[in-house]
Amino acid sequence: MSKQAAAAGSPEGTARKIFSAYDDPGTPEEISRRSFMANATLVIGGIVGLGLVIPIVGSLIPQGASSKGTWAPLTADEFKSLQEATNKPVKLDFALKSKDSYLPEQSSSEYVWGIKTDKQKFESARTDLPTSGTLPYSDGSYDVVNMNFVILSPICPHLGCRPVWNDQATRFQCPCHGSQFNFDGEHVAGPAPRGMDPLPLREQSGVAEIMWIRYESGVPNRVIISYQS
Amino acid sequence: MLNWIESRTGFVSMAKEFLVEDIPGGASYWYVFGSATLFAMILQIVTGIFLTFFYAPSANTAWESTRAIYLNPWTHALLSIHYWGASAMIALVFLHLLQVLIWGAYKSPRELQWIVGVLLFLVTLVLGLTGYLLPWDMDAYFASQVSLNIAGLPPGGEILQLIAQGGPVMGTNTINRFFGLHVWLMPAALVLLVGAHLAIFRHNGAAGPVVDDPRKLRPGRFWPDQMFMDGAASFFVFIIILALATFAPPFLDQKADPTNAAFQPYPAWYFLFLFGLLNFVPWLFSHIPFLASQADTPWVEMLAAIVVPTIGLLIVLLLPWLDRSTTRSFASRSKILWSTFFTIAAIVALSIYAQTGIQAKIAAGPPSESEAQILAEPAEAATTTSTTAGGGASAASAAGAQVFSQNCTSCHGTNGQGQPGVAPPLVNNPFVTGDPKAVIKVVEDGLHGQTIMGQTYGAQMPAWKSTLSKSDLAAVLTYIRGSLGSNKASPVTESQL
Repeated sequence: MSKQAAAAGSPEGTARKIFSAYDDPGTPEEISRRSFMANATLVIGGIVGLGLVIPIVGSLIPQGASSKGTWAPLTADEFKSLQEATNKPVKLDFALKSKDSYLPEQSSSEYVWGIKTDKQKFESARTDLPTSGTLPYSDGSYDVVNMNFVILSPICPHLGCRPVWNDQATRFQCPCHGSQFNFDGEHVAGPAPRGMDPLPLREQSGVAEIMWIRYESGVPNRVIISYQS
Repeated sequence: MLNWIESRTGFVSMAKEFLVEDIPGGASYWYVFGSATLFAMILQIVTGIFLTFFYAPSANTAWESTRAIYLNPWTHALLSIHYWGASAMIALVFLHLLQVLIWGAYKSPRELQWIVGVLLFLVTLVLGLTGYLLPWDMDAYFASQVSLNIAGLPPGGEILQLIAQGGPVMGTNTINRFFGLHVWLMPAALVLLVGAHLAIFRHNGAAGPVVDDPRKLRPGRFWPDQMFMDGAASFFVFIIILALATFAPPFLDQKADPTNAAFQPYPAWYFLFLFGLLNFVPWLFSHIPFLASQADTPWVEMLAAIVVPTIGLLIVLLLPWLDRSTTRSFASRSKILWSTFFTIAAIVALSIYAQTGIQAKIAAGPPSESEAQILAEPAEAATTTSTTAGGGASAASAAGAQVFSQNCTSCHGTNGQGQPGVAPPLVNNPFVTGDPKAVIKVVEDGLHGQTIMGQTYGAQMPAWKSTLSKSDLAAVLTYIRGSLGSNKASPVTESQL
C-alpha cells in the first residue's frame, strides 16, 4: 500500500501524495460497515467450511459392510481325517471366500483346528463358553459341539497370533506371548483373556461346512468383528 | 493469544500484510472473478484429496471404486461437488481471462501475469482432461482415446502419445499416468503458478478500472471491503455448485469396454469447441471446390485438431505484444475487442455445432442403460463362454456360407434374420454392413449384454477367434457382409483380422 501511494504521484507532478486507503480511518459509519463485512466474510467462510466438512466426515465413517458369514466346504478327505481323529487336533484347510470392499470376491487358503470330543466333557472344561452351548452369529446361533466335533479358530484370543499344537506338551502354544490352551481350547496359561474361539460347523447334503468368524482380540468376551480374514 | 503467536511466529503481521492492499477506485463486484476462481481451486483440492481416499487407479479397480463412490451418498456428494466444481473452475478462469482481455489489464507491466494466467488456464484444462478418464467408464475410455490419438497426430506425436498412454494401447498404465498427472503433477503446477500469479499481482498492484487518469482514483481497501465481495461471490458459486451437484449429479456409465464399437464418445462441454473444430474444418474443405479432395486427409485433421488451436493459443499468449495501443481505453483497442467478440462467438457456435451433432448421434444410437441398472450390476465382468465350432476347413468357394450355417444359424437364424430376445438380425443391420473393423472385433472377441437397435438379446456371442481359423473368419465375415439377404458391403480379407 505504501508502494502504491508512492507510485501514484500527483497529476501535476508535484510531491503531493495520495495516501493508502488504510491511512484514512473513515467515518464511524464506515468503521461499523467494515466490521460487519469482516464478520460476514468469516461467517461465509465458516458456512462453506461446514458444508464441506459434513460430507467429508460422513464419507470417512465406514459403511456397514456385508456382515454375513459364508459357509466354506471341507473336502471329504479332510472331514474323514477329522472323523478318525483321536486325541490330536486336526488342521483343516479350506478356501475362504472374502469380499474386500469394491474388489471382486477373492479366495484365499485358510485353516482351522478340528477336534473330536465329547459334548459333556467339552462343556465342563470350557467354562468361558455360555452354558447354553451355543454362540451367536449372523444367522442366529450355532452349537459349539456339533456331531461331537468342535472347530477352533486358529487365531489366538490374546493378540491375534496363531497358536500351534505341541504333541509333547499336548497343548496349543502361542509363539508370540506364550499363551497355552489344552486339547479343548481351554485357556490354561499365559496372557490370553479367554479360551480359543469355537467356529460354526454344519453338514449340508453330505458335505461338512464351516464358517470363518473373526473375534476381537484381547478382551474376555467374544465380540464378532468380521466374517472375513 | 494472538500476541503470543505473533511474538513467536510473526504470522499475525504476515496475515495483515497479506490482507492490506489498496484497490484503485475502491472495491467492486467486477473484481471477484480471480478470487472466485481461487475459491473453486481450493474446493477442487479439498474434495479431490478426499476422493483419493476412495479411488484406486488401475484397470481392475478404477470403475469398481468409482462405482463404490457412487453407492455411498457421502462420497457421491463429494464426487458431484468435484465434478461441478471442475466446470465452475473452468468457467471462472475463462471469465477472469475474458475480463482481463476486455479491460486490457495485460498491458505493461502485467505481461508476465497474463502469461502465467494463460498457463493456469491450460493447466486447468489438462486437469479436466485427465480427470475425465479416471472413472474408466465407456465415455471416459472413448473420449480419452480420441484425445490421446489427437496427441499422436503431429510428427513426433507418436512418442508423446506413447508416453501419455504408458503403452501402445490404453490400459491400466494409462489410468496410473493420468491419475499421477491429475492428483500430483498438475495440482502442484497449479499451486506454484497461482503463487507466482498472486506475487506478480501484489508487485504491480491491482490494475483498476479503465479511466483516463488512474492516478486520480481514490483507493479502497482489499480487507474487508473487497474480501467481503469476493466471499459473497464465492458463496454464490458454492451454492450453484451444490445445487447442480444435488439436482444434476454426474452419470456413471458401464465399465470401459474397448470392444463396444457402437459407443459414441462425447467430450466435456469445455472441449466441445475443439470437437466442433475437428468436424467443421473437414466440412469446410469439402465445400471448397479445389480443396474438396483433401477434406478427409490426415493433414486436414491435424490442421483442425492441432494447428488452429496452437495458433490460437500463441495469439492469446502474445497478446500483450500484439496489442499496440498505448492506453487501455476501449476506443483505442477496438480491433482487439472486436476480435475477442468474434472469437467468443466462434467458440460458442462451434460448441453448439458439436453438441447438436453429438445429440443427433446419441439419439440415433442404442439407448443407454439407466444409472440404477449400471450401479446394481455386479462389478465382476461377465465370464466368456467358449463354444466348440462344428465346422473347420471347407471348400474355399462356399466356405463363408458353410461356416455361417454351421456356426451362426442356431442363434442368428438360417437367413440371418435373428431371433427376438436371443440374437440380433444380421440382415438390414447397419452395424454388420458398416465399419468392417467393428464387425471383425465382435466376431473375433464376442459380445454380450449390448443393446442393439433398441433391443436386448440374451445369447452370448462367442469369441470366434479361439475356435475358427483366420480363413474361416474372413470367409464368414465376407459372407454376412456381402451375400446375406440384401447386404452388399465390402469383403473382409485375412490380413484385416
